[in-house]
Amino acid sequence: MIEIRNVSKWYGSFQVLTDCTTNVNKSEVVVVCGPSGSGKSTLIKCVNALEPFQKGSIVVNGVAVEDPKTNLPKLRAQVGMVFQNFELFPHMTITDNLTIAQIKVLGRSREEAVNKGLKLLDRVGLKAQAAKYPGQLSGGQQQRVAIARALAMDPICMLFDEPTSALDPEMINEVLDVMVQLAHEGMTMMCVTHEMGFARKVAHRVIFMDRGAIVEDAAKEEFFGQPRSERAQTFLAKILHH
Amino acid sequence: MSDFDFSVILENWGFLAQGLRYTVQVTLTAMLGGILIGTVLALMRLSSIAPLQWFAAGYVNIFRSVPLVQVILAFYLILPMVLQMITGQQMPIGAANSAYFTFTVFEAAYYSEIMRSGIQSVPRGQVAAGYAMGFTYGQTMRLVVLPQAFRNMLPVLLTQTIILFQDVSLVYAIGATDFFGAADKITQRDLRPVEMYTTVAVVYFVICFALSRLVKLLQSRIAIIR
Amino acid sequence: MDYHWDWLFFFRETDDGLKYYDWVLSGLGWTTLVSLASLAVALALGSALGVMRTTPKRWFVAIGDAYVDVFRNIPLIVQLFMWFFVVPELVPDRIGMWMKQDLPYVVIAVVGLGLYTAARIAEQVKAGINSLSRGQRDAGLALGLTEWQTYRHVRLPMAYRIVLPAMTSEAMNIFKNSAVTYAVGILELYFQYKQIIEKTSQVLEITIVVTLAYFALAFLMNRLLAFIERRTRVPGLIVGSKGGDVA
Repeated sequence: MIEIRNVSKWYGSFQVLTDCTTNVNKSEVVVVCGPSGSGKSTLIKCVNALEPFQKGSIVVNGVAVEDPKTNLPKLRAQVGMVFQNFELFPHMTITDNLTIAQIKVLGRSREEAVNKGLKLLDRVGLKAQAAKYPGQLSGGQQQRVAIARALAMDPICMLFDEPTSALDPEMINEVLDVMVQLAHEGMTMMCVTHEMGFARKVAHRVIFMDRGAIVEDAAKEEFFGQPRSERAQTFLAKILHH
Repeated sequence: MSDFDFSVILENWGFLAQGLRYTVQVTLTAMLGGILIGTVLALMRLSSIAPLQWFAAGYVNIFRSVPLVQVILAFYLILPMVLQMITGQQMPIGAANSAYFTFTVFEAAYYSEIMRSGIQSVPRGQVAAGYAMGFTYGQTMRLVVLPQAFRNMLPVLLTQTIILFQDVSLVYAIGATDFFGAADKITQRDLRPVEMYTTVAVVYFVICFALSRLVKLLQSRIAIIR
Repeated sequence: MDYHWDWLFFFRETDDGLKYYDWVLSGLGWTTLVSLASLAVALALGSALGVMRTTPKRWFVAIGDAYVDVFRNIPLIVQLFMWFFVVPELVPDRIGMWMKQDLPYVVIAVVGLGLYTAARIAEQVKAGINSLSRGQRDAGLALGLTEWQTYRHVRLPMAYRIVLPAMTSEAMNIFKNSAVTYAVGILELYFQYKQIIEKTSQVLEITIVVTLAYFALAFLMNRLLAFIERRTRVPGLIVGSKGGDVA
């Protein structure tokens, strides 16, 4: 579903991604972890072309992301993304947040969009908040709405960029629960996260990045049981003590 | 399209230069006087003495709500009356001279808002530290707060001065001869509006653009120091 | 002081049959018309320029920046004179003749004042858009919205709310700046002020009245914009925050 081949990226003369190659197959859940500055957020933002890259290629569902002829809005409509800071649109109600892209991008009627939106809202347990504004919701609630907003577009895969890093600890689980359920339903997911409990529960593969390169890319059991690289070992040791 | 003849500029450049000099003189006077008075007004407005606060607030609000042209004309007419009332004698103030007073008083309202913002941007802890060392209010202001406020707001103060420089063109309303007024008077006699006004526009642009770039440079220098 | 106060002069007849207070009201009307029309022009053009200056396209940014640099560094009265005297000479003869003979002074004044103010509004709009977190644009794009759609639905609505106080100030400024249009033939309030002084020399009374009139206009604009601010306020949000969690 997502094929990343030899992707390299520079900010000016500073190289942030070095020859990254991996893929995410249909219904696979891949977790990307690593220390800060390792380029994991940058890599995931390259998948839906929010960040350009200079070398290599990324193919999503048969469409080459770096091709100048690619219709990016159309591609992005199929790839759902959830951000660290939720990024709900503050001046719109929850319902409007859920429906605006459905109406403007997919061309659905308002009725259809609202129905879909409310159904998803219910799925994440927030139906009662439909008429509220993002500023009136807690962080965990906002992030769950953000997930629903992405799902409303009926995406073929979902990208998560540190979805729980900006949340207070007591709200992390409500969001992870939604993500776990999504994984159980067979959604193709690529998640940048520090939550190793989540990785252990639902991930099929784990990718470890360090300083812009993919250092390790292994099946979950292998990664947690016997990581090959020393850097991954040290990282795991530090993280798993939380 | 008529033919252009820029010789009218060269023939009259002396008169234009005089006008420009007047503009610069008024600008500098109003800047210095305005910042001085403006700082006092800002302190009054931030003080806890009610009548001072009201006076300063009233002063600032009035001059910021009224068009500058009107203030220029009003002061030009009223100033001699007031002077006569005070001194008992007829004191004709020319248009050119009244402008010095008018712009100083008017711009003080704007400078005062800038200084007020600057004073408020100095952390409270600085004032507390001043008092803790035994400074009086005056000393704290003079030695601790105002220097910092002034330095913080220097780019904004200079930007206001560039605006002031452009505003002086409005002495046209009372017939005083600033840079723009000089061009206008020449046009009325020699009739080459296109060349004259275009030149004026270009000169203003070059001066103000250059000054605003300098201010930006200054801003980036200050940012580094902090 | 040998000044002779006479408040009743407002009710005396002028040499064109009206009363002096009619002159004041007429001036007030012209001021309001010119100001509001210019404000409309300035908002439309200024918003477009502000958006242009924040797009990733370098051409747009350059044009927007150049516009602001030119129109902010030349005094308003000089700009008005340029439109009035110079532009008709620079355009093709037929258009130039039309401008000099048939074009109402009001149009020139509104164009001049509008374009002048547009530069200032472009600054505000640009600042407002740039103060939003980058994530808002990213989130919009990630949902499949085009760049233009993110401006229209996500970034501009919030940017306007953020810069509303600065816009209020610009709206009040335009009423004051409209006084300068007297120099290109608009019979607005300042013009009437000048006229009345020349005819009656009741300087103090008319100064007080005109000052109060400008006060009233400023106050009204202020209230109008405060009303707009209340109606467009986003519940639960301190305007300008970057979308972190709010408990």
